Formats: sequence, structure tokens, C-alpha cells
Amino acid sequence: MIGRFLFLVSIALRHLARRRRQTVVAVSGVAVGVGFFLAVSALMVGSQNDFIDQLIESAPHIIVSDELRSPSPQPGTRVFGQGAVELHGYKVRTEVRGIKDWSAIVAAADAIPGALASPSLTGGVTLRLGGHEEALAVVGIEPEIETQISTIEDQLRVGHLRDLEKVQGGIIIGEELASRLGVKVGDIVAASTSTSKARSMRIVGLFKKGRAQLSSNSGYVLLREAQSLLGRPFIINRIGIHLADPYAAERAAARLERRFGYKAESWQERSSEFLSLLVTRNVIMYSVVSAILLVASFGIYTVVSNSVSDKQRDIAIMRSIGFSERDLQLVFVVEGIVLAAIGVVVGWMLGYVLMEILGSLRFPIAGEEETIPLDRSARQYAIAAAASFLAGAVAAWLPARKAARVDPVDILRGAV
Amino acid sequence: MSAILEARGLGRTLPGERPVVLVHDIDLTIEPGCFTAIVGPSGCGKSSLLYLLGLLDRPTAGELLFEGHEMSGLSGDERAQVRLEHLGFVFQFHFLLPEFSALENVMLPMRRLGRLDIDEAEARARALLAEMALDGKEGKTPDKLSGGERQRVAIARALANDPALILGDEPTGNLDSHNSARVVESLLSLAHDQGRAVACVTHDLAIAEQADVRIEMLDGRIEKIVDRRVGA
Ligand SMILES: Nc1ncnc2c1ncn2[C@@H]1O[C@H](COP(=O)(O)OP(=O)(O)OP(=O)(O)O)[C@@H](O)[C@H]1O
Ligand SMILES: [Mg+2]
Repeated sequence: MIGRFLFLVSIALRHLARRRRQTVVAVSGVAVGVGFFLAVSALMVGSQNDFIDQLIESAPHIIVSDELRSPSPQPGTRVFGQGAVELHGYKVRTEVRGIKDWSAIVAAADAIPGALASPSLTGGVTLRLGGHEEALAVVGIEPEIETQISTIEDQLRVGHLRDLEKVQGGIIIGEELASRLGVKVGDIVAASTSTSKARSMRIVGLFKKGRAQLSSNSGYVLLREAQSLLGRPFIINRIGIHLADPYAAERAAARLERRFGYKAESWQERSSEFLSLLVTRNVIMYSVVSAILLVASFGIYTVVSNSVSDKQRDIAIMRSIGFSERDLQLVFVVEGIVLAAIGVVVGWMLGYVLMEILGSLRFPIAGEEETIPLDRSARQYAIAAAASFLAGAVAAWLPARKAARVDPVDILRGAV
Repeated sequence: MSAILEARGLGRTLPGERPVVLVHDIDLTIEPGCFTAIVGPSGCGKSSLLYLLGLLDRPTAGELLFEGHEMSGLSGDERAQVRLEHLGFVFQFHFLLPEFSALENVMLPMRRLGRLDIDEAEARARALLAEMALDGKEGKTPDKLSGGERQRVAIARALANDPALILGDEPTGNLDSHNSARVVESLLSLAHDQGRAVACVTHDLAIAEQADVRIEMLDGRIEKIVDRRVGA
């Protein structure tokens, strides 16, 4: 069975060897399609993965905040819920901002296998140095936990998060803010809020500039420092949760939100607009690639179709010798598959070279030398090959059916 | 002697608005060790009959028995298999595959059948070509061979799977008298020395004279069968 298949393949190869020029054209079509697919998909998938990694890792996978998706029912409605038709002149109760029972939420989050929750408090302060004032969103964190759940640490130009624990009143701010204020590490600035009086803070670290996810006007301090600075002891208004599996974030967030009522936002929800943009990008990429492969399959169709019409006599001979209709169909389908196979191999090499070139390019982005993120996974090679083989087989199968239908008697009568 | 091929009331009509009767009411037997010539004027249906006998065409009437088995019920694949194992064709125009050498052309039926491995098939193909006095020409492609040589390669290929029946459609029609005589000699020897059944359509009176049985056709039917074998 295998022997017979190889025999039919050898006949197909002989046919192709006789039509070199057309073969070269068809193979180039497939090769260019495969090569550019690899290059384009490496770019697209690479940048997409890089982007998603940043989305996932730059901030906690889930952020529980002290917001509610719908206003909480006022005590009046809560009490008279079913009976009350309308409430008039009722004094709306003012709720204290902050997450109540936050330790229960942290405990619940920590209970998820591999998960870690980090409570924090965010508030606005004003930094003052000499006559210069800057508004700053100050985030109070536990450095020990925060380093484990986010990549903030990697984005420090100078210093470490843990330095906050070592220096009384330590604060980490962005490079840009520091240069606007004209301060460097070790300098002291005054921080104040609308309700409290100024207090001195010492700069212990600086963030690299140009990081979108860290606004240039945010700064990190110890949690208890933030609580006393903002005058809200023991209160937190944000819990960041890091999960072992980032893709479980949506479900875990929904569960926490149902249980505790506070808004729990997964990274997917936070970046849903970007994610739907990625879907569009993928649709565009695969349409372009399909179009390239379609064009490539035209080349294969032409070669096989010409081959079938040139070989009418040979088909009749082979039929008279005892080859079956299926044998002949197979010979011509194999011609298409062989063209696709050579095209795939050449295309792989082309794609590899293109990726090497793309990978060697350096781009200065925000002062950093960056290489283009490329996805060079075997998966892309496999997809390109599978698509080409499919296109080649279909493109060859159409004319090959004609070969199977050739009636040897018609040909013999014509020739004799 | 039992017949290899037997036709009973065999007929073939091309369908259509005005149907064309190619052959009709054919009764004949073809026997091993016997050289049968099919003769008749041009257009009388000799080739059409040969295609029916060679399972290349399907009859529209009558029956055809190959080694006692009715052939009409067979599928296309089964008929192809019978051709592969038991039949060999030689046509007027050397029908060789142009991409393949003489040796490879002779090996084609063996490789398709797959009973011999490649080395065995090659050895047998060389032997067959040698029998046709073609040693030394094995590696040549058809375009490098003379007409007579091509026709002898075609005969060697027809013999590849050791068939019981050889069918020829004017195998010498395209050859000069010298080459023609050699081809006829080979075909006669296949019947008389190797005991195969050989049936050839021919215009060549010299061949018809040497045949054991002569089937004379006219207007799509058999006019007369002349059996010249001793004891017939
Ligand atoms: N497809 C066809 N349509 C119509 N008529 C056909 C067709 N094929 C064959 N014929 C006719 O059938 C008849 C028999 O043809 P066939 O080829 O069998 O004759 P032949 O005896 O082999 O002739 P020749 O000696 O010239 O080869 C001829 O009259 C031919 O014109
Ligand atoms: Mg004829």
C-alpha cells in the first residue's frame, strides 16, 4: 500500500520535473505566502503576547476597589423594601469610603490556590518643594507582598520597593516628576493633604519614565505611612490580587464581587477594549494570509490542470495498463501536494530569514533600545504548513478529478 | 481447449439522439496458444471490438467471459485489476510514457501490481527487453528509440505481469516491413512458444496469413471465422 503510494508519488515527480518553469512559479507562490505569513504572524502574535503580558503583569490580575457597580440600597429601602412605594425627603446616609471587612476579602483571595492579595490605600497628596507644587496620587502598599504580585519592582530605575521599609517616610516617585521638582534620591520633599499638615518624605527610589501603566504622577509609600498621611488609619480602598493562572481572573473576580459586593475588576475587563482590538487584528491578519494562500493555490491549480490536459494520452496508457481511476486522481493530487511541500520548506526558510532580519532591528522607544517582540513558535510553522497543504490538495484535487474521468477509449480512438 | 475469453452476443452502441452501433452480435472465443487475427475494412468496428475484449469499454449487449467469469458486473477498479494482472495491450502508436526510460516503462505494470520488489521487477524488465533484442537500450527514453524499438518495448511492457492474453491494435501498422516482420515473429512466438492467447487487429495480409484463426468483420459484425489449426 505504502509502496504503491510512493510509486504514484514518483510518477507525479516525473511529471513535475518535465514542467520546471511552472513548477518554480507555483512553488514560489506558496513559498512567498508561507514566508510572509511567518513574518507577519511572528510580528502580530509576538506583539500581541508582549502586550497581553504587559496587561497581565503590570497590574494585579484582579483589583477590588471600594466602588460599587450600583449604589447600595439606603437603609430606608432596605427596611421597607417590599412595602415602600416611594420615599420622600429621606436623608441619604453618607457612607465612609474604603473597603469594610477588607481582611475577609484578603483571606478569601488568599484561599484561592496560588493567589496572593495585597491591600493598598490610594489618595491624593500635594508634593511641595520650594515654591513648586505637584499633585500626586500616593499608593500605600506592603512592599513584601506588592513585589510578588506586580512588576513595579522591575520598573524602578533606582532603588527597591523594600527600601520603603528601611527609611522613615520613604517615597518612590517617577523620574519625570522628580526632574520637574528638581529632586534626586535621598532628597526630602514636603507632602500634604487638604486636611493634614505637611510632613517630610524622603525619596528612596525612582521609576523609569515612559511607562504608560504608571502615571508619571503616582508615588509609592508604605501602607501605614499612607494611612496616617491621608488621615485614614486602618482603612484601605484597593486590594490587588495576583493569580497563578491569569486567565482565571474573570471567574474569580465575579465570585469575589458576588460575595462581597465591592467592584472586582479582572485584567480582561479592565482592558476589554484592547482585547477586542486584538481580535480585529487577528481577523485582519488571517484574512491577508488566506488571500496569499489563495493566490498561491491558483499557481498549483494551473500546474496540475495543465499537467492533466497535457497528459491525456499518458492517462489513457496507464488506464489500459491497469491503473485505476483513483490511482490517476492520486497522481495529480500528489503533484499539488508535492508543490505545496516544496513551497512550505522554501517558505519556512524565507520566513526564518525574515524573522532573523526583524529580530535584529533595534528601535529606540522612550530612550530604551527595544527589539521587536517576535513569536517564533513552532505553532506558526505548523499552521503555515497545514494551510498550504490544504490549499494545495484542494487546488490539485479539482483538476485531478478530471484526470480520473478520462475515458481511455476516447483517447485511444482519437490516436489510432 | 478451454477459452480464455468468450463473447456471446456482444454488442456496443453509442447512446445519443441517433445511436451509433459500433459492433453487434459478436460470438467468439479466444484460446491460449493461439494467434487470432481480426481483419476487415476500415471503420468496420475492429478497434471497438478490441476495446470491449480488453475491458477498456463496456458492452451494451451480450456477455463477456474472462476465464469463465462474467465481466459485466465488475466495477471499474475490478476491471482495472483484471487488465493489470491478465491483459497486455500493444497499440499501433507505441504508447510509452515519455518521462520514463524503456526499462522504467516495462517496470510500470509490475510496480503497480506490487508483487515483485523493485530489484526483482528490474531484473524481469531487463530479461523481457533482452528477449525483444533490446539489450543496451534499457536506459533510453522513448524519444531516443526508433519506431520498431518502441513497439518492441511496448510488447515487453505488455508482457510485464505475465498476462494470459495479449491484445494488439495494428501493432505493425506504423512499421516498415523489416521491423514489422520482427514484431510479428515475437507475437507469434508468444502464442506458439509461451502458450499465451494473442489477438491482433490488422490490415497486414502477411500477418493474417500466419494467424491460426482469422476473424473477418464487416459493418460491426463477424462475417466469417477461419480456423486454420490442424484438427480444427
Ligand atoms: N465516438 C464515435 N461517435 C460516432 N461514431 C464512432 C465513434 N467512434 C467510432 N465510431 C464509428 O464506429 C465505427 C467503428 O470504428 P472502429 O474504430 O472500431 O473501426 P476500425 O475497424 O477499427 O477502423 P480502422 O481500421 O480504420 O481502425 C466507425 O465507422 C467509426 O466511424
Ligand atoms: Mg481501428
